[in-house]
Amino acid sequence: MSDDDRIGYLSGDDRPLAPADKAELDELRDLLAEPALWAEPPAGLEDRIAAAIAAEVAVRPQPLASPGGFGAPAALPPVAVPPVSAPVSAPPASPTVPLRKAAARRPVLWRVALVAAAAVVAVGIAVGLSGRTKGGERFAMALAPPAGAAVAVSGKANLVRTSSGWRVELDAPGLPRLDGGRFYEAWLRNAAGTLVPIGTFNEGSHVVLWAGVSPRDFPTLTVTEEEADGNQASSGRRVLSGTLALTG
Amino acid sequence: MTLDADVVERFRRGDDEAVRLVYREYGRLVYAVALRVLGQRELAEEAAQQSFVQAWRAAPSFDGDRPLGPWLATIARRVAIDIHRREARRATMDIDDVPAGHGALITLPPSPDAIHEAWAVREAVDALPADEHEVVRLQHLEGFTHSEIAERLGVPVGTVKSRSFRAHKRLAARLGHLRGDPP
Repeated sequence: MSDDDRIGYLSGDDRPLAPADKAELDELRDLLAEPALWAEPPAGLEDRIAAAIAAEVAVRPQPLASPGGFGAPAALPPVAVPPVSAPVSAPPASPTVPLRKAAARRPVLWRVALVAAAAVVAVGIAVGLSGRTKGGERFAMALAPPAGAAVAVSGKANLVRTSSGWRVELDAPGLPRLDGGRFYEAWLRNAAGTLVPIGTFNEGSHVVLWAGVSPRDFPTLTVTEEEADGNQASSGRRVLSGTLALTG
Repeated sequence: MTLDADVVERFRRGDDEAVRLVYREYGRLVYAVALRVLGQRELAEEAAQQSFVQAWRAAPSFDGDRPLGPWLATIARRVAIDIHRREARRATMDIDDVPAGHGALITLPPSPDAIHEAWAVREAVDALPADEHEVVRLQHLEGFTHSEIAERLGVPVGTVKSRSFRAHKRLAARLGHLRGDPP
């Protein structure tokens, strides 16, 4: 089959092809039809990434090298990283993967995938059934500006227990954006007044934070204005505060 | 796609401008990989953010003589799979309440080959001229015929066909494996 035949088929001509060639090119067609391949990241993601790294730089100006490929230092790992004992080998220098070679492996991959998919369906059902009896810990709270706050903004937060910790989904879209070394910081506080920082951000829409302490023990969530000045303590400039209510 | 060594070095130091340059070069690709693994925009956004943060943390171990993109792709895939597993471990829903397409029920993370194919194809598609990019998008993502694309864009069908052929020729050239011979 000539290159023009292959290109013509991809570009929409219904020309007859050998079954093997057709299967290979259909895989590429399927890939090109995947929405993920065309999706654009949200507009604020660049700022959030820059702020997240800036916040880490403020704490630790130089990242720590880890042996055996990439890994992360112990601090602040919201997502588990590959263990150092299993270093990640980077992919080939060229990011392209020969579809023809991949296709040769595919019959085996498909069989493995089908068996594994069946297993996952079974696990999913088991998880769902166990969820009926165990239940999940989930809290919600309304966030309101404390007395004297400079900005009169309200919001809400959902806290969901996961095996990694508590996922805190905070939404306060009216918070004016802070950057240029200024940012918001969220905290959980217990009855004794002990504060646990749970993350920093620049604006309040759809923020995801992580807490390593239970909101049962630290039931108050506050958001403060901060500056990257090397002082890790709360500035005390609270803009939002909320109280827990059990929802599930 | 390459960033010069100075940008990579400044990225290691957490320089804001360099972080943004790296993001603008690779953010779409990292996000696409994350979305392909996770299937949900919110989780993909979280994964993309974590990927860049982890890349910064791991930057001292990065070999500056190698291209940054594949290294980032590997990190992105790892982070996305970690999140996929975390989400799958949640046991908070009744089976009747699990939405169709929920990761714990239906999907497995794509294989490394599939991830790298997606990265390569996205990279190639992003490199297309805007008019060809739009034709390819409408054809494959939206499923339009050449005639429908022509009507939508207000151009002759022949123009759509030639743009489509040129676009796929560029894709073929960039993705050497589309040719009959191994790259």
